[in-house]
Amino acid sequence: MTSRTLGQFYPVSSPVHALDPRAKILATAVFVIGLFLIDSTAGLLFVAAALVTLVAVSRIPASTFLRLLRPVLFIVALTILIQVLFSREGVTVLEWGFFEVRSGGLRLGFFLALRILLLVSSAGLLTATTAPVALADGIEDLLSPLKKVRFPAHEVAMMMTIALRFIPTLGEEAEKIRGAQAARGADFSEGGPLRRARSLVPVLVPLTVGAFRRADELAEAMESRGYRGGEGRTRYRELRFRKQDALALAVTVLVLLVGILL
Amino acid sequence: MENPGEGTRNGGSFAVSCEKLSFTYPGSGRPALSEVSFELRPGEYVGVVGPNGGGKSTLVRLLNGLLRPDSGRVRVSGRDPATEPFEVRRHLGVLFQNPENGLVAPFVEDDVAFGLENLGVSRQGMRDRVARAIRAVGLEGYERREPNTLSGGEKQRVALAGLLAVEPEILVLDEPTSMLDTAGRREVLEYLKALRAEKTILHVTHHLEELAGADRVLVLNGGELVADETPERFLSDANLLRENRLVLPVVPRLALELGLPPARLRTPEELAEAILARTESGTRAR
Amino acid sequence: MKLELKDVRYVYAPGTPFEVEALRGVSLIVDPGEILGIVGGTGSGKSTLVQHMNLLLTPTNGEVLVDGVNARSLKKSELRRRVGLVFQFPESALFAPTVEEDVAFAPRQLGLDEEEVGERVRESLRALGAGELAVRSPFALSGGEKRRAAIAGVLAMKPEVLVLDEPTAGLDPATRQELLALILGLRRAGISVVLVSHDLDEVAEVADRVCALEEGRVRAVGTPAEVFYREPAQAPVTVRVSSLLKGSKPEIGAPVRFRETLDALRALQGV
Repeated sequence: MTSRTLGQFYPVSSPVHALDPRAKILATAVFVIGLFLIDSTAGLLFVAAALVTLVAVSRIPASTFLRLLRPVLFIVALTILIQVLFSREGVTVLEWGFFEVRSGGLRLGFFLALRILLLVSSAGLLTATTAPVALADGIEDLLSPLKKVRFPAHEVAMMMTIALRFIPTLGEEAEKIRGAQAARGADFSEGGPLRRARSLVPVLVPLTVGAFRRADELAEAMESRGYRGGEGRTRYRELRFRKQDALALAVTVLVLLVGILL
Repeated sequence: MENPGEGTRNGGSFAVSCEKLSFTYPGSGRPALSEVSFELRPGEYVGVVGPNGGGKSTLVRLLNGLLRPDSGRVRVSGRDPATEPFEVRRHLGVLFQNPENGLVAPFVEDDVAFGLENLGVSRQGMRDRVARAIRAVGLEGYERREPNTLSGGEKQRVALAGLLAVEPEILVLDEPTSMLDTAGRREVLEYLKALRAEKTILHVTHHLEELAGADRVLVLNGGELVADETPERFLSDANLLRENRLVLPVVPRLALELGLPPARLRTPEELAEAILARTESGTRAR
Repeated sequence: MKLELKDVRYVYAPGTPFEVEALRGVSLIVDPGEILGIVGGTGSGKSTLVQHMNLLLTPTNGEVLVDGVNARSLKKSELRRRVGLVFQFPESALFAPTVEEDVAFAPRQLGLDEEEVGERVRESLRALGAGELAVRSPFALSGGEKRRAAIAGVLAMKPEVLVLDEPTAGLDPATRQELLALILGLRRAGISVVLVSHDLDEVAEVADRVCALEEGRVRAVGTPAEVFYREPAQAPVTVRVSSLLKGSKPEIGAPVRFRETLDALRALQGV
């Protein structure tokens, strides 16, 4: 049985991995906001350089990281294309039949594309260096002051933890059911979109029914082990905010300030 | 039958006592449990067998407060699980059948700590107890493993560790090995065996060989307690076995057919010895 | 039909850090009309092997042959009709509102007309002793009933070979015995059965031949007596008892099934 690391978490040890997840979540949030306050390409490039350094420090192989960016390549290309084709700013750089490529378009396209890449990279770095469980803990902690306004922070965190626990299991279950139905002659690749959607019924129905049954059994097990909500509950895992974490936050803010000023 | 007394932790009368326990699932035509009465003395190891649908799982859930009886009385360490479930669950832990759906957390040690977290134990207190529980089931080194990378036997051991961390005096095992393969079953039983000396155990199972060494065996069929016997008497009663859809494991079955005592012969080695002894002496056992 | 695996090698997730060689050159033949038992511990490759029989998995190296023809050259749907595979805990794939609807799934996928489909459904349910379950919801059945319904669903394809991966897993001993009797019935009807099981006693009772897998390789293959007596420590109880007595009582022979073991043991005592 192989361990399929959930989502994008890349398990190595690095100074970034060791940071408190709350610091990382906050840093990412600040980063995202900061990105929108930067209005020069130079600023973005500076921030990009800082991010690349950070990726290197986090010991994530470049190839792996670039793979994280693959899903957005299409959007990035589209953005550049739209700007390039429809911008009327700057001087004409190229002419190709009906279309005019202007320097302004190129510049704006590049700027927007870079911003998108940085946004996705920061989220990607967060999930690559923070174990899902730690993320859940971090989110729970950051949300807990909201308990005062009756926000179910504990319940949300519990749901996240359980989801993380069961996603690989449900994934295997889905594979197994697919195989079982394929063995009975089900074909998931044939036909138009409507046909294909219908062919998923023999997989989705049992998967859903199974998930409900699991939920029942899990609830029984949790209750039997004394679970009664978040009241009076302690936590085994510990989050300790240390100097490094404060430093990391400070550095993030600094880098963004420089970027904004550039 | 003696009055079920207020069993206390320190070997008072009973660890668990049930008096005329009845329960019918809402919407069901017939009772799942009908006037069931029995006691468990502290330190006893008692088996529960019977056909599916006979009431075994219902009994388990009435003991730990997941279900509330329609009538009758249950006391676990002196407390009523229906009114004080949280307290009862400190003293009585249940190991369920499905190894997958009892594991809550994404990592082994976090799951083992789950019960302690619910009890509000301090972080420092938890660390020691979790480590000890993991050691008690032979899973040192597995602390940061994810549940979906474990074998069935390992998952059940994690679940067992989670129970042990809370340090209950009573363990209820609800067919803990049914979904495991031979190796997994052997693993889990090995660690359960080690607990017999210190815990009171109620073991629901279909595999009669798992009840070797039990003090008593309860038979539940159609919601009724039809027998409360020693394993010896129980394994030798062919009618009892047949009526309750119980199947003798191969060794006792061979023994029975050969006229040897089925309850005393459990392993192939013991059976072979007994056969040799008999052929050598040239006399019949009975 | 004769189903053959020739030197099959299978690697999971090649080129990734999770790469695992699950099968390392397995050669195996399933003869027509026999019950072949496949035994082996966890990690031996049993489930991987079995998924090659209907090409749900394709070998990394080696071939799968159906009556001498490479299975890859056959239409997938054709192959999966002739080799029916029932996964472990197959009831987790039940999905239709009634049992008969669910069992009808495979014959319908084959494009049969409704009359033929109905006939197949009735026959399969009957073969599994589940006739009265036809109109019930699969989700409201007991474990044993669900298991029967699921197996009927594959049987409805009228396969020539039925591959069962741990068909009695999780069932109580009485239901197990009933299911094994049904499986014997299938063989009598001319279907070859491949039975994967961790329960050696069960395999001992029904198998004509046994293949023992270990770490992706065939450790032994042959009659149950040949395979089990070779490694008596990892054998069914009947074989273990008999081997222990062999030293002092060689006349015991090599019984495997319960009845023949009992007779041999009785003979020892001059009964």
